[in-house]
Amino acid sequence: MMRVLIVDDEPLARQELRILLAEAPDVQVIGECGNAIEAIGAINREAPDVVFLDIQMPRVSGLEMLSMLDPERMPRVVFLTAHDEYAVQAFEGSAFDYLLKPADPERLRKTLQRLRRDRPPQDMSALKGASELRRIPCTGVNRITLVPLEEVESIVSRPGGVYVVCADGQERFTELTLNTLQERSGFIRCHRQHLVNPDRVREIRLIEGGVAEVRTAGGGIVPVSRRFLGPLKARLSIE
Amino acid sequence: MLPQLPDLVASLLQQMGIYLVVAYLLSRTPLFLPLMRVSVRWRHKLACYAIFSVFCIMGIHIGMPVGGARANTPAIGAVLGGLLGGPVVGLAVGITAGIHRFLLGGSFALAAAIDIVVQGLLGGLTHRYLISRGRVRRLFSPALAAAITGIGILIELAIDLALVRPFGEALHTVSLIALPEFVANTLGAALFMSILIDRRSLLEEQSSAFSTKALRIAARADGLLRGGFDRENSSRVAQIIYEETGVGAVAITDREKILAFIGIGDDHHLPGTPISSPQTQDAIARNEVFFADGNEVAYACSIRRGCPLGSTLVIPLAGEDRRVIGTIKLYEPKSRIFSTINRALGEGIAKLLSAQILAGRYERQKALLAQSEIKLLQAQVSPHFLFNALNTIAAVIRTDPERARQLVHSLSAFFRKNLKRAGEEATLGDELEHVEAYLRIEMARFAGNLEVEVDVAEEFRHVRLPAFSLQPVVENAIKHGTSQLLGGGRVRICAAREGRDLLLSVEDNAGLYEERSPGDGLGMAIVDRRIRARHGDAYGVRVECERDAVTRVILRVPLETVPA
Repeated sequence: MMRVLIVDDEPLARQELRILLAEAPDVQVIGECGNAIEAIGAINREAPDVVFLDIQMPRVSGLEMLSMLDPERMPRVVFLTAHDEYAVQAFEGSAFDYLLKPADPERLRKTLQRLRRDRPPQDMSALKGASELRRIPCTGVNRITLVPLEEVESIVSRPGGVYVVCADGQERFTELTLNTLQERSGFIRCHRQHLVNPDRVREIRLIEGGVAEVRTAGGGIVPVSRRFLGPLKARLSIE
Repeated sequence: MLPQLPDLVASLLQQMGIYLVVAYLLSRTPLFLPLMRVSVRWRHKLACYAIFSVFCIMGIHIGMPVGGARANTPAIGAVLGGLLGGPVVGLAVGITAGIHRFLLGGSFALAAAIDIVVQGLLGGLTHRYLISRGRVRRLFSPALAAAITGIGILIELAIDLALVRPFGEALHTVSLIALPEFVANTLGAALFMSILIDRRSLLEEQSSAFSTKALRIAARADGLLRGGFDRENSSRVAQIIYEETGVGAVAITDREKILAFIGIGDDHHLPGTPISSPQTQDAIARNEVFFADGNEVAYACSIRRGCPLGSTLVIPLAGEDRRVIGTIKLYEPKSRIFSTINRALGEGIAKLLSAQILAGRYERQKALLAQSEIKLLQAQVSPHFLFNALNTIAAVIRTDPERARQLVHSLSAFFRKNLKRAGEEATLGDELEHVEAYLRIEMARFAGNLEVEVDVAEEFRHVRLPAFSLQPVVENAIKHGTSQLLGGGRVRICAAREGRDLLLSVEDNAGLYEERSPGDGLGMAIVDRRIRARHGDAYGVRVECERDAVTRVILRVPLETVPA
């Protein structure tokens, strides 16, 4: 069974695709998302095999969304786009597939055929340029704030989710996993639950027992565990 | 032996002739220019002093000794110097020549020196008197010059009698020179002044004839070449130049061929044929004026041997970056001489035409730009919108065929409006129909996620504004506004009167407007520019934005447009 997630900001477009996919007996649509943020959460939770992903979406485009996914658990992505501009050029000849809207059922069958055949994960290199993480999507009530990396002091994982700590001391919820953030942002892991932005580190204070804390430019304190103190110092070229 | 009176008169008049010939010759040179008008500039005064000192001294030498005296004509130089240059110049001329006379010696030396000084002063005082009365033109009257010189001679004779001793000898000499001096000096002064004013009126006539011609050509040819530098316009301009300058023939060429030829030789100088004369090709290649008068610089028609044209002036027409775009050529037949006035005129005309051609190109480029701006606004909507709309319709067909049918109608209404309106202007009603068709599609696309409110009173629907003013703004509100929201989007279009203006506002609840965000600015900037171009800088597009709450784009246009 192929587990599929549909991501598109237009309800009718999602509906149309769902109906087209229903014709394939081995495809199971496990959910629909109306924007990239919801989709990140859903992908992290459900780990779908395939994501049908619209490119034009609110605030975070489908392309940018890829940079916010955990590279270890990357689903295979089929892009959907209304007009074949840059996107198509980028994927032409790569392992990626794309569908033009309105989707042609015949064309969709071919895509599914390929998906069944090529089970191994896709080559991500084609998207290298487009997939660099520059801002972290943070969800509030009905809003997405896109926080530029340079404004982030540290990131903390709590039982309730992952939070981005900004220079003003505010914490913002994000759907991105700590692993993804560590991979994509260049922040340093200093604790099992914390990442710190190396550009914002002002001071490392050593405490007894091999642990330490980092004071950030914004005045925040981030704990450093014994296990990560060495690597942190190495990254900051101390000693 | 003293000379007899009649001989004296005759020979003095004879010598007077030489004196006037010199004056006449000098009057043909630029040296005389400062003498032709009353000037307060010290350089002009200095020139006046120098020239009349020379004439005054020349007057002393032209003449013959009579006893201890000389029958001569320095009075002319002194009096005219004073008349034209003022008291200071008159006195200076008098003193300069007076010293010279004194050094020549003779029993009359002192008296004659004083005479000249007094005569210079007399001219100067007359100058001052007439200037203070505002009668400048009278200074140049030959009769006045004669009268003042006459008075000067009488004073001279009186001084001679008073100063020269023995009195008897003085009286005898004076009685001999009185008549010839009086006649020669008054006549000479009058003739001298006539030469001056003749010369002046000749110059004025020339320059006024020149200006008249130039102005007439400029007025008649105005705007002709703005319509384009082509054969039709060129031949009209050539006709005007031909009529106004009266030259033998006029030709206009571009870089390769003759565009127009009018006048003598038009039987074989044919418009449309390539340029054959090496002079023209040279003028184009070097961007230089070429003049062949037919004498010093040979000229021969390059097309036919028997061509009557004998001289030519070729002037390049300069376009952008001083690049040559063609030439204008004036010809005279072998039987006539190419006048310098026409030569100067030709160069002026070439400048005028170059400017016109440039202005015309600029205007056409502007018009093209305006055209392409509309095209840009039309094209900006196309592909994404179209395919998304078709995708939406494809989905709706399954569930609600009737609604799908309506959407197809909306889509065709939108594109018809988009493609068909070639005109520059539209009514607000037209614009709203366009926008409403667009919004019906977008609302279907975003299903429940887009609400639209249009609140425009019926009375405003006749207001005229540049076509495609509203749709790009509404499209922006959706593309960069509501479609970027996770929750529901709202777009509101309303119109309100403010004084004599109409304020059209398009509002979205995203509040994401950023100045110069890529792709955002272009459509809006064009709308703004077109409104300003049509209605002036008091009108245009303004944006208000409350971050994350609302973006409001306000178009201000006049309620009443004067029907064109």
